[in-house]
Amino acid sequence: MFALEVKGINKKYEHFELKDVSFELKKGYIMGFIGANGAGKTTTLKSILNMIHVESGIVKVFEQNFIANEIEMKQKIGYAFGGTDFYTRSRVKKVTSVIKNFYTNWDDETYKNYLKKFEINENKKIIELSAGMRVKYNLAIALSHGAKLLILDEPTSGLDPVARDNLLDIFQELVEDGEMSILFSTHITSDLEKCADYITYLNEGQIINSCEKDAFIDTYLLLNGSEKQLETVKNKLISYKTNSFGFTGLMLAKDYDPSIGIKSAVPNLEEIMIYYSKKENKYV
Amino acid sequence: MYNLLIKELKLAVSPLFYILPFLTGALMLIPGWLYFIVPMYFLWITIPNVYGAYNTQNDIVFSVLMPVTKKDIVKSKVVVIVLLELLHLVIAFIFGLISTHLYPNMYYIFFSPTLGFWGLSFVMMALFNIIFIPLYFKTAQKYGLPLIYGVVATLVFAAGAEWLGIVNTTVYNIFKGAGTDNALLQSGLLIGGIVLFAIVSFIAYNMGTKRFEKVNV
Repeated sequence: MFALEVKGINKKYEHFELKDVSFELKKGYIMGFIGANGAGKTTTLKSILNMIHVESGIVKVFEQNFIANEIEMKQKIGYAFGGTDFYTRSRVKKVTSVIKNFYTNWDDETYKNYLKKFEINENKKIIELSAGMRVKYNLAIALSHGAKLLILDEPTSGLDPVARDNLLDIFQELVEDGEMSILFSTHITSDLEKCADYITYLNEGQIINSCEKDAFIDTYLLLNGSEKQLETVKNKLISYKTNSFGFTGLMLAKDYDPSIGIKSAVPNLEEIMIYYSKKENKYV
Repeated sequence: MYNLLIKELKLAVSPLFYILPFLTGALMLIPGWLYFIVPMYFLWITIPNVYGAYNTQNDIVFSVLMPVTKKDIVKSKVVVIVLLELLHLVIAFIFGLISTHLYPNMYYIFFSPTLGFWGLSFVMMALFNIIFIPLYFKTAQKYGLPLIYGVVATLVFAAGAEWLGIVNTTVYNIFKGAGTDNALLQSGLLIGGIVLFAIVSFIAYNMGTKRFEKVNV
C-alpha cells in the first residue's frame, strides 16, 4: 500500500517550474527528498498539501484523493517545516491547548509521553526551544493526533550533528512497526545515507530519479581518468570536473564500458547531486 | 470554525486588544470631542498589530496546515474583526451614555453620542470591512495598502458626515437638532446602521473567501 502517491504535478512560476513531478512512497518507509536549494522541494511539498494551486497533477494519501478528502487526510498527516515556526512567543502548553482541538484522535496520554521522551518543557515558550526541540515538538504533536504520514521540510537543517543524529534515530524508530511513513526533504545527503529507504531526487523542478536508496546509488558511477581518456567518454558523462591529474565525472552505470579501462567508483549522494547540478550549469 | 475562532482569540489576538476598547471608549468622556475618532482607534491600532502578528507568527501557514477549510479560515478572521468592532462600539456607547449624563448642556460642534451617531459609526465600520477584508485576502499577507485604503475611506466618510452635519440643515436637524429627541428616528438610524454593517460584513467575508481560495500560501 502506498502512503503517498504524487502523479504529474505541474506548476509554473515566472522564473521556475515544477515539471511532471511524480513519485510514490510505500507505507512504513522513509523517503528522502533531495535537491539543491531552489530545486523546488518546498514547492513540491506545498503542492502535495494543497497549499499551492497546481496546474495539473493528483496527490493520493493512503490511496484516497487528497484534495477531495482534504480535512480527513490532514487528520492523518503530521508536518514540520524547518525554519517556519508558529506562535513562537507563546508557551508550548498554550499552543498545544489550541492545536489539540483540531484533531479528532488526539490522545493526551501519548502527548505527555512524547514530551517526556523528547524532554520538552511545556512551560517554555516556543522561541526558547532549540531548533531540534522544535522539530521534536512538531513530531510530538503529529504522533499524538495519530498521524500515519509525516511530511517534513528540511527538518534537520540548522541542527548540530548530535541533534541531527538523534532526530534520524527517532525517524527510524517511528517506522519500525510499519505503520508510519515519512517523507522528508533535505539537502544534507548524509542524513539520507543514515536513514532513508527510498530517495527521490529533484533537480531544477524535475524528478531525476525516485527509487530505493541502494538502487539509486547503483544507477551511477564516478569515473576517474586522464585527460586523454576524457575525450573517449565525454559524451556519455552527465558532467565532469578536470584537475591536474585528469578528470572526475559522473556517468549512468548502464553507459559504462569496463573495457575502456577507466577507473570507476560508486558515488555518494552528495557527488550525484553535485554533478547533476553541474550539468545544468553547463548550458547556462 | 469554532476551533479556528478559539485559536484567533487565544493565540493571535494579544490580550491588550481586549483592554483597548475600554481605554479608547473612555475618550467619549472628553466633552464635545470628535467622537468618530473613538472607534477609529481600532482601525489604527488593533488591525495593523493583529495582521502584522499574523505574518510574524506564520499564522496563515499554521491555519492552512490544520484540518480546516480555507473558507473557515476567512470566516474566523472576519468574525474576530466583527467581534472586536462590536466590543469597541458597545463600550464606547456605554461611555457615551455616561458622557451625555455628565455634560447635559454641552454644545456640540461635531456629532454628539446619539443613537443616530452610533448608527453612522456602524456604517463607517462596514465601509472599512468591505474595503479591508477583500483586499487583504487577495494575498493573505500584505495588509498595509488594504489598511490605508480602508482608513482613508473611513476618514472621508467621517469628515463628510461631520461636514454635512454643519452645513446641511436636514442632517443638522436629524443628528443635532429636533431629530435627537425623536426616539423612533434615532433607533431607526441605529438599527439601519447595524443591519447595513451585518450585510456588508457578510459580503466582505464572501469576497474574501473567493479570493483566499486562489492564494498560494
